[in-house]
Amino acid sequence: MTSAAERASRLLLRFYPETFRREYGEDVIEFVRARAAEPRYATAGGRTRLLLDVLADGVPGAVREHRALRAQRRTATPYDAHPPFTLPPEELMVTLAQDIRYALRTLRRRPSFTAVAAITLSLGIGGTAAIFGLVDVMLFRPLRYPASHELVAVTMTRGASLREPAAYPDFLDWREQARSFQSLGVARWQSVNLTGGEAPERLAGSFVSASLLTLLGAEPLAGRVFLPDESEVGTARPVAVVSEGLWRRRFGAARDLVGQSIQLNGRAFTVVGIVPSTFTFYAGTDVWLPITYYPNAVGLTRKDHSMTVLGRLKPDVSLASARAEMHAIGARLAALYPEENAGGGTHVELLHTLIVGDVRNALFIVLGAVALVLLIACANVANLQLAYAVARRREMSVRAALGAGRARLTRQLLTESLILSVIGGVLGVAVAYGGVAVLLKIVPIDLTFFSPVAVDGRVLAFAAVVAIGTGIVFGLAPALHASRADLNRALATRASGLVERVGRLELRGLFVVAQIALSVVLLVGAGLLARSLMKLREVDLGFDPANLVTMEFRLPATKYDEPRKISDFFTRAIGEIRAVPGVASAALVRSIPLSGNGDSRAYAVDGAPPPAAGQAPIMNLNTVSPGYFATMRLSLVAGRDVSERDDAGAPPVVVINETLARRAWPNASALGRRIRFVDSERWFTVVGVARDAKHFSPTDAPRPQAYLPYMQYPQIFTSVVVRSSGEATQVGNAVRDAIWRVDRDQPVWKIRTLESIVDAVLGSKRVLLGLVAAFATVALLLAAVGIYGVMSFAVTQRTHEVGVRMALGAHRGQVVRMVVGQGLRLTAVALVVGLLTAAGAARVLASELFGITPRDPFTYGLVPLILGAVAVVACYLPARRASRLDPLAALRRD
Amino acid sequence: MPSRDPTPASFLPLTPAVLHILLALAEGERHGYAIAQAVEAATDGMVRMGPGTLYGSIGRMVSSGLIEETGRGRSRTTDDERRRFYRATTLGRRVLEAETERLARVVAVARAKNVLRRPEPA
Repeated sequence: MTSAAERASRLLLRFYPETFRREYGEDVIEFVRARAAEPRYATAGGRTRLLLDVLADGVPGAVREHRALRAQRRTATPYDAHPPFTLPPEELMVTLAQDIRYALRTLRRRPSFTAVAAITLSLGIGGTAAIFGLVDVMLFRPLRYPASHELVAVTMTRGASLREPAAYPDFLDWREQARSFQSLGVARWQSVNLTGGEAPERLAGSFVSASLLTLLGAEPLAGRVFLPDESEVGTARPVAVVSEGLWRRRFGAARDLVGQSIQLNGRAFTVVGIVPSTFTFYAGTDVWLPITYYPNAVGLTRKDHSMTVLGRLKPDVSLASARAEMHAIGARLAALYPEENAGGGTHVELLHTLIVGDVRNALFIVLGAVALVLLIACANVANLQLAYAVARRREMSVRAALGAGRARLTRQLLTESLILSVIGGVLGVAVAYGGVAVLLKIVPIDLTFFSPVAVDGRVLAFAAVVAIGTGIVFGLAPALHASRADLNRALATRASGLVERVGRLELRGLFVVAQIALSVVLLVGAGLLARSLMKLREVDLGFDPANLVTMEFRLPATKYDEPRKISDFFTRAIGEIRAVPGVASAALVRSIPLSGNGDSRAYAVDGAPPPAAGQAPIMNLNTVSPGYFATMRLSLVAGRDVSERDDAGAPPVVVINETLARRAWPNASALGRRIRFVDSERWFTVVGVARDAKHFSPTDAPRPQAYLPYMQYPQIFTSVVVRSSGEATQVGNAVRDAIWRVDRDQPVWKIRTLESIVDAVLGSKRVLLGLVAAFATVALLLAAVGIYGVMSFAVTQRTHEVGVRMALGAHRGQVVRMVVGQGLRLTAVALVVGLLTAAGAARVLASELFGITPRDPFTYGLVPLILGAVAVVACYLPARRASRLDPLAALRRD
Repeated sequence: MPSRDPTPASFLPLTPAVLHILLALAEGERHGYAIAQAVEAATDGMVRMGPGTLYGSIGRMVSSGLIEETGRGRSRTTDDERRRFYRATTLGRRVLEAETERLARVVAVARAKNVLRRPEPA
């Protein structure tokens, strides 16, 4: 019978070194058998005691044997009296304290090195930590709503797009049929006119179902959120929930606001609650209103796909099963409403995924870029350490001669590196604070949904890990290298050993190659992004954005309740605006290009067979006043502009763009032909064809576009575009006053130039480029310092040789060429490595690029030239110093 | 194997395990298990060596020349079949002497300073 103790011994033996097992394995088993046979171990208690004894003896025994074996192997190399890290704990603590004291003294003795290294590291560590703070909040932490992992967005799909908004009746059907959700809510953003105070004000409004506020977990500061039936058709009441911001700003934080009524869109709403500013869905919402008070009657019909639908999954329902259920419901609805829902499926996505989707890639690119900078910083500090290692060679040799083992010296140097990195880390936290503040200013990301970005415990922990990691990364190689001091050579002769010199130069050269190669990667990235931004700027928008001012206003539906009143207002307003000094021309337009607003409708063409349900082509739709094309400098290629005579009484007309003309009548002129919306029998006659212009983004593919005259299609939402004769920004307020002369109660907002709108559209790309370019610049500087340092070092090492060469008649030019040549050989190797790495890494940029490929030859040609030039300068300075050596002085050295 | 003949002093102080093993072998050659039993008996059960400690120490003592195998083991004729016997070498005995003398001096100093509560028989 085998005892438990024996089995344990057999198991433990496996963890002993093989030599021990072979020599004594059987003896150990015999020993345990003999013990087990003793009467005192015969009882159950005894057997347990024996097992515990065996474990208590065997586990430390295995460790001891391994250490002994290592120590034995090590005795082959001299100066290693003590095996590393095998000192008893108390002795280890003593030497650790010694190491730290000694390291602090050493660092104090060379303050400039310490400062440069610590600052370099702090920039790397702090920058990485700041970016990590942003990435962490956006990608790795839950949204700021309670149990946010259950929150999903339900969207319509059309073609490849999974994110089409839904219509209000779709939401009602989904809510009735779906079983996967605890609740479903709907929201739509729309500005709201607040009147009744001194000045009319346009508020950011969110029209929502009562369920939206509860499913997002809104906790009112005062009062309550909506009751379920307050937002339903039939039972809705005019109630409003006000944001804390509006309550403080507009109502002076009045305690009795709840219960009072306020005038919104020309109608009285009772305030029922105030929600804290930390709660929001659409960024900056001032007031929440029941969805059924959405001001546009079409807005709640099945035709109008513009609602955001959110759901909270039941805890036991997976995303996949919710998708399957909604897919089936979507198919049923598509069969039921072939006109509006045909071809449109439904999709369920986690709210977090949906929000982060667009910026995820950019975030990782920036994080990658800053990590590369950190690596380059590490390489730089490692190089500095290596340079100092030369100066300390004698110190190391003396310490070795006095009995310090190599392990002890390595530990000493590593302690220095770690202390440096801790100093860098502490400074880095300050950098991270600043970095986060800057990031929040420049990053055009809507952070509404996320926990606040701040330097918190996680960011500090990250910084600490990075600091320790960098300390080891940049400290280990130099420490191992420097501690390999050659006692005899260093003490016996002051001449630097040739072998050692070459070896150390090679290691430093390796660091420089790595630095340059990493810089190449960053520069190529920055170059690709810059090139692509340039291409975006060169895109022909179809119109001329210079000197254009735009602004938006919306007529309250209660006051402007008939088309005639609306078009009267427009006619008078445009007359007043055109009379403003400095205004060269002005026009009204439903949605300003690139502002993000825009309509699209399915259309049918006269003379062609009517399209099958759901198969009708889609066009962009805009409403304009006469003079719009001239004001935008959007040229007409055929026909005429809409005119004042195209009013409600005249035959309906339309101006279309070239793409629509080409698609509808490929082989003939479009003028005089007719077009209609698929859901209407009203025909519009084409009177003009305009050039294609971008509407949603400069990267838009050409899309069919129709422009209707505003008097035949009057709408309460409108924008003004003004072409000024001088500086565009100066006419803005005068134009607003002109509108106020027509209606004093009319809020006007978003007064801005069209160029600033274009900038905003390119904003996220610009910031991405800005960050990557900034990191690339830092990388380039660090790399230049690295090359310079290594070449200076090489020159110092070769002083004697250079002296001999010059004494033998070498010219200064030859010396310069020799030194520069050596540096450029390193650079050339690094460029090749860097370009190959960049070509592989640039693929992650592909989705951020426009008009160029990730292998853009121009960028790949330019970057080596820039780095080459930097390298030449960095090598030339030490080379010149070498060439000015006095040969006699050089030879007298050593 | 050490390259030069080491002096007994270079082994001092001994670890408790090595000291006890040398003491157990002072009376004659023993096999591993018998060493452990002897140590336990000599210390009134205070020191109970496990196999890992015992054979680890034996291995190191053999390689540093303090003890040696007698060659009597591995004979399959006795009950102690497969057991290996060890004895102290001359060096081992000298090291034991040096260590006990050192300890005796320590005890003498301690006694002179009244650190020991009751005098031990010399």
